[in-house]
Amino acid sequence: MDAEFINTYLLLVTLTSLLANAIISIYGLFFKPHYTKKVIALTILSDTMNTFAIYLGYRTWVNGVNPRPPVLTSTPTEKSISEFTARAVDPLPQALVLTAVVIGLAVTLFLVFLGYILYTHYKTLDMREIKKLKG
Amino acid sequence: MYAETIVYLIMAVVSLLSVVAVYLAIVERDLIKAVIYSALQSGFYAVLYYLLMAPDIVLVYLPVAVGLIPGVLIVLISKTERWEKE
Repeated sequence: MDAEFINTYLLLVTLTSLLANAIISIYGLFFKPHYTKKVIALTILSDTMNTFAIYLGYRTWVNGVNPRPPVLTSTPTEKSISEFTARAVDPLPQALVLTAVVIGLAVTLFLVFLGYILYTHYKTLDMREIKKLKG
Repeated sequence: MYAETIVYLIMAVVSLLSVVAVYLAIVERDLIKAVIYSALQSGFYAVLYYLLMAPDIVLVYLPVAVGLIPGVLIVLISKTERWEKE
C-alpha cells in the first residue's frame, strides 16, 4: 500500500480519537450527576482542547526529514535560520497551551474548594439531590 | 519514510488508548478509580505532546496533570464521598 496513504490514515486516527475524547468528556460534563465526576470531565475536556491547539501547530515530515521543537540551540547563522524555519513546528500554540495548562490548574483548585463548601452545606455532592434541596 | 510511519503509528495507538482511558474514567462509579483513569489519560497525552514536538509542554503538563490535579481530587474525595450513585 502507498506510504503516503498510511501516514494520512494514521494522522486521521489521531484526530478522530481526540474528537471522540472531546465528545465523551462533554457527555460526562453534562449528563453525569456527581460533582467530582463533572470536574474530572472538565479537566479532560480542557486537555483535549489544548491538544487540538498543539496539533494545529504541528508540521508533518517533509521528504523523510523530521520536524523539530522550535528551539535554536546555537548562535543563529543564515543557514541555521533557514533550516529552522523549514523544519521547526509553530511555537505560538505551545506558548498559549503552556499558559492554559496553568490556568486550568487554578480553575480546578477553585472548583475543588467550591465542591468542599458544597458538601459542608448539603452533605452530598449528587447534583440531583442538591437540585431538590433549595434554600 | 519508514521512521515517519512508526512515529505516526505510535501517535495513533496512544490516542486510541487515551479514548479507552477517557471512557473508563467517565463510566466508572468508584471516583478514586475514575481519577486514576484520568491520570492515565494525562500520561498518554504527555506522550502525544512529546511526539507533536512540544517538549516544553510535557515538562509543565506532566507534574500538573499526573501529579497535582489527581492529588487534589483525591483529597476532595477523601473529605466528601467516594461512590457515585445510580
